Amino acid sequence: MKLELLPWLILFLPLLAAGGITLFTLRYRTVSALLSIGAIVTGFVLSLVFINANGWQPSSAESIANWLTIGGLHVDFGLKLDALSLMMLLIVTGVGGAIHIYSFGYMHADRSFSRFFAFMSLFTFSMLGIVLANNFIELFIFWELVGVSSYLLIGFWFEKPSAGDAAKKAFIVNRLGDFGFLLGILMVWGLLGSLNFTVLQNKLTADPAVLGGMATVAALLLFCGAVGKSAQFPLHVWLPDAMEGPTPVSALIHAATMVAAGVYMLCRILFLLNADALHVIAWIGGFTALLAALIAVQQNDIKRILAYSTLSQLGYMVMSVGLAGPTPAMFHLTTHAFFKALLFLGAGSVIHAMHDEQDIWKMGRLQKKMPVTFWTFLIGTLALSGVPPFSGFYSKDSILGQALSQGNYALFILGAAVAGLTAFYMFRLFYVAFLGKPKTQAAEHVHESPAVMAWPLRVLAVFAVIGGVIGVSQTYASQFSPGEARESFGQSLVEPLTHSPAGVLVGLAFIAAGFFAARALYRDAASDPLPEKLGGLATAMKHKFYFDELYEATFIRAHDFIAAVMDWIDRWLVEGLCIGLVRGGTDLSGRALRLVQTGNLQTYAFLFVLGVAVVMYFVLGK
Amino acid sequence: MSILTYIFGWPIVAALALVLVPRNYRVIIRAIAVLATLISAALAVKMFCAYGSAPMDADGYRFVQQIPWVESLGISYHVGVDGLNVGLILMGAIVAFAAACCSWEIKEREKEFYILLLVMSGGILGAFASLDLFFFYFLHELALVPTFIMIGVWGRGERKNYATFQITLYLSLGALIALIGLLALYVQSGANTFDIPRLTEYIRRHPLSVHAQNLIFPLLLFGFGILVSLWPFHSWAPLGYGSAPSPTSMLHAGVLKKFGLYGLIRIALPLLPQGAQGWMQILAWLCLGNILYIGWVAMRQKDLNLLIGNSSVAHMGFIFLGIASLNLIGVTGAEFIMVAHGFLAALSFALSGYIYQKTGTLQISELGGLCRQLRFIGTVLLMAAMAGCGLPGFANFVGEVTVFFGAWTVFPLVTGLALWGALIIGAVYMTRAIRNVLHGPLPDKWAGLADASNLWRKLPYALLLASLFVFGCFPRLLTDKITPDAEKIVAMARGETVAMGSTRLRRVQLGVPPNWIDTRETKVDPINPAASRPLTVSGATPETTRGTRVLHDNSAVALANNTILNQ
Amino acid sequence: MHVGLEHYLTVSFLLFGLGLLGVIMRRNLLVIYMSLELMLNAANLALVSFSRFNNNLNGQILVFFIITVAAAEVAVGLALIVALYRKRQSAHVEDLTSMKL
Repeated sequence: MKLELLPWLILFLPLLAAGGITLFTLRYRTVSALLSIGAIVTGFVLSLVFINANGWQPSSAESIANWLTIGGLHVDFGLKLDALSLMMLLIVTGVGGAIHIYSFGYMHADRSFSRFFAFMSLFTFSMLGIVLANNFIELFIFWELVGVSSYLLIGFWFEKPSAGDAAKKAFIVNRLGDFGFLLGILMVWGLLGSLNFTVLQNKLTADPAVLGGMATVAALLLFCGAVGKSAQFPLHVWLPDAMEGPTPVSALIHAATMVAAGVYMLCRILFLLNADALHVIAWIGGFTALLAALIAVQQNDIKRILAYSTLSQLGYMVMSVGLAGPTPAMFHLTTHAFFKALLFLGAGSVIHAMHDEQDIWKMGRLQKKMPVTFWTFLIGTLALSGVPPFSGFYSKDSILGQALSQGNYALFILGAAVAGLTAFYMFRLFYVAFLGKPKTQAAEHVHESPAVMAWPLRVLAVFAVIGGVIGVSQTYASQFSPGEARESFGQSLVEPLTHSPAGVLVGLAFIAAGFFAARALYRDAASDPLPEKLGGLATAMKHKFYFDELYEATFIRAHDFIAAVMDWIDRWLVEGLCIGLVRGGTDLSGRALRLVQTGNLQTYAFLFVLGVAVVMYFVLGK
Repeated sequence: MSILTYIFGWPIVAALALVLVPRNYRVIIRAIAVLATLISAALAVKMFCAYGSAPMDADGYRFVQQIPWVESLGISYHVGVDGLNVGLILMGAIVAFAAACCSWEIKEREKEFYILLLVMSGGILGAFASLDLFFFYFLHELALVPTFIMIGVWGRGERKNYATFQITLYLSLGALIALIGLLALYVQSGANTFDIPRLTEYIRRHPLSVHAQNLIFPLLLFGFGILVSLWPFHSWAPLGYGSAPSPTSMLHAGVLKKFGLYGLIRIALPLLPQGAQGWMQILAWLCLGNILYIGWVAMRQKDLNLLIGNSSVAHMGFIFLGIASLNLIGVTGAEFIMVAHGFLAALSFALSGYIYQKTGTLQISELGGLCRQLRFIGTVLLMAAMAGCGLPGFANFVGEVTVFFGAWTVFPLVTGLALWGALIIGAVYMTRAIRNVLHGPLPDKWAGLADASNLWRKLPYALLLASLFVFGCFPRLLTDKITPDAEKIVAMARGETVAMGSTRLRRVQLGVPPNWIDTRETKVDPINPAASRPLTVSGATPETTRGTRVLHDNSAVALANNTILNQ
Repeated sequence: MHVGLEHYLTVSFLLFGLGLLGVIMRRNLLVIYMSLELMLNAANLALVSFSRFNNNLNGQILVFFIITVAAAEVAVGLALIVALYRKRQSAHVEDLTSMKL
């Protein structure tokens, strides 16, 4: 393997930037930003160089340094270099780099500019760690670091109470997933005695039944981690609240990094997931996709709509993993990274221009004043909706094709319906926010964002268009199903049609239905007509099907209640009763004995004589 | 002289020197204290770095020094380190230095405070370095007593006096029970030595009877357990730390508390293996009391210091879990957390002390938004809280994860529940505290708060944080030292080198059921013939004769009294 | 009548008993003090008589010591009582209870 130091450099550059900013350059805003941007862009370039030199499957796949060895516990700090991780490396540094550059413009007025970039670099570092990890503990370490850096970034404007709450919520909900994840890791280690992915895979290949009856349990526990990080039902509640962070953070969390980690992890440990577990995973993914799409239909905050669309798309990816299709899942993850980053940055551009207004019903007719944002956002919307020939079409279709080829028609119909819903809510957003009449004064006086924000939009838009046909899918396929012939550009352009024409047609029909429904309802609407038509369902959608309230009433209440009981026990039983009894008993006997201690010397003398007399009687008297 | 003698000797010498300094020379007093602890910390770092290359003695200890003292009882001044205490000494010395740096918050009776602080630092470092049971215990007591005085005199809050009483009584009781256990061990072993390596070697060859072990082990477990706030003997800890001045909390929660755990690992496990094995199941469940129950209690705290105190108690649970797992991974993890938690507890209390110093309150509802005003302190507090809920990169993570791996193979259910405590409950109370103390809008009354401005003020926090980082990122610095010696301990504790049938019990003696005091057979110690002495006394001496003699002695005393009276 | 050791000891015992009674019963510091002296002298008497009947001088030597020490003691004790009386205008033990809880 050539240039074997490069991956280490790519991994640690952002950490160096974060450390350097925190320790030295907090006062120099531009230097800090350049350090952070430089680290990630260099990482991108170095990744390209590395891939160019070694190809997608470097000959020696792991480079290792021992991190911890205690008896049977052996933890390495190694890098796993294969098509999966190298591709993710490009996405994280590429899309992340675009977001970093965009942030330079977006955050320019913020007083904690340097701190922002330090956190962003830390986040990038953690995500790169997840991507490159070659064993469970290393993965878990970076898993947690991603959790904490998202905590820091979501709570970046910590003076806003809602930001602090959202950060806390994200952290704790993620921790719930991590609980299962670590338990799963312990279980796998207990049964197989290793943590290294390659070793584990070899052991399982040699003897598929080695996990025995615990296989499904272990797989589902590991899946818990992905549920938390990729915000699947029932732990999906943190992601929309994470919108409290600055918009580039939302873009970073939603597109290239955090939420992708769960799906990536599932693909990485696919060999551990047995058929039963995959079945559960597929249905959880599908259900999340539907649930989130329904909620997105009735949101009015531009960022929240995008957040729920992320949830929905993640549901697709998880569903695809569950359908034993890691290639479509990672393919969709990649194209999603392009167009979701684009959409979030576009939304950020609008919010920036509207002076922090996020309600789509206060925008309107932006195409003249913000042409770049308008056109790139349109591309993003088309890609997300799965309109051919944009990238989303190819990846979404490959997932639907996977469902068909697995013979799971229920999930196929569900997926297609969600695609229709996606088109509906995205065009609802687009019609209301970008077209129609300006709905407020502010919307009439917007202006285009500066070049440093516009250029990342343009670049991402290009990839959102062509992302489906540049060989991403084949690269993943070379990892998961080696031996398949590589397709030419022309073949990949028409691949969906040759692969499963029925699936394409059904999917496109749903998408068209969604588009025309949105057009009919929202083309000239000044307020949302849907609540009147749907009634209670719309209210439930608007309130996210009351999951927050449900958890508040059950999980949080239960914990607080137990805490209150325990506190009561501690205060009154342990400290009050037990210690109180000992204390009171001592006190009481002290008081009783004090009565004997009169302080009168003559009494003492009398007692003394009495005592002497008694002793004399016993000694001499007999 | 061994470097260890210097490490704990400097603070003690400085304490003696401070007695001679007039009390109004404040700067000099402070300088002496800081300098002495700095030297000792620097020496500890040097010792830690040189550990690998230092020569080992026959028992596996390094930097050994031994001076006979009371030979008839087998007491000698004996210091040395192996993997079990090398990290603790390093941690103790660094925390002592940080505590001395943080003592600027003490504004009255400074001289006495610094003397006590130095005695405490020197005492506990000496206790960790001691390889002689007598000095091990004595130096710990030397360190313990100043704690009580410091809380009583320089403490804060309305419940200061109550806290002082409780901590004094509780810890004295714990130390007393442990003392009884240690003395019983000394007497029972028949080795006539307080020297730990020799005692260990002797007991390895002649294990105590199972009966004796079953009686002594609980004494040590609960005696040391009380010192470490083992649930349900924990209630002194949060209250005591909440009321103590922060340097005292730092030293006690960080360093002194580890004495009990160290004692368990160093003495109770290897010397009383069969006693230990029966208790480990119970200990594992008790540790859930620390982790879950105290975690929940911590969620309800309204005072930042009480919260930190409770979380510190909760962390002890992980160490107990590691010990209870009784395997190499678990015990190494427990040792690792001991070091990590020492840094973390010291850091947390130092930070809360700073906030209290500046705001005059630690009521969480009174605070808020401090991150804006106290950038440095706020950032460090955030990191400390994250380290507290087990974030990777900090040393606590390594220890906790290791403990979980160790315990998983033995107690899967307990480990699962402990995991809930570590990942969820810990995260809940820590993030809630951050949300309410650091995040949110800044109340107007705190608009003028001053951050730690100069390097000198920042130094202790930065030092402790850096230590957490170093061991968190490079755990092998510590684990490679711990593992070989933990392996020995675990092997002895699991009875792997000791054949189970070799318990040398003489069951029948004068038809009396075996009594643990009298059933030891006398045999000549192959290593040390002089040390073996017969313990079978009461069987040979008729009870009646003994009784009369005692009465006779009494009457003699009474007569003597009479004579004096009559004059 | 032959006066033997028993007679001396009886007198000594009576003196001691009187002194003891005085110490226990009386409430005036001076009287208590005098009773104490009485007890000392009872002991002296016993010692001298033992010395006489045992034909050695050890007892008498001891008595000299006791007398000397008693003299010193009286000096200190009386001084204390006088000082106390000046301060409190009373030498009655029941008036001197300020140390009592």
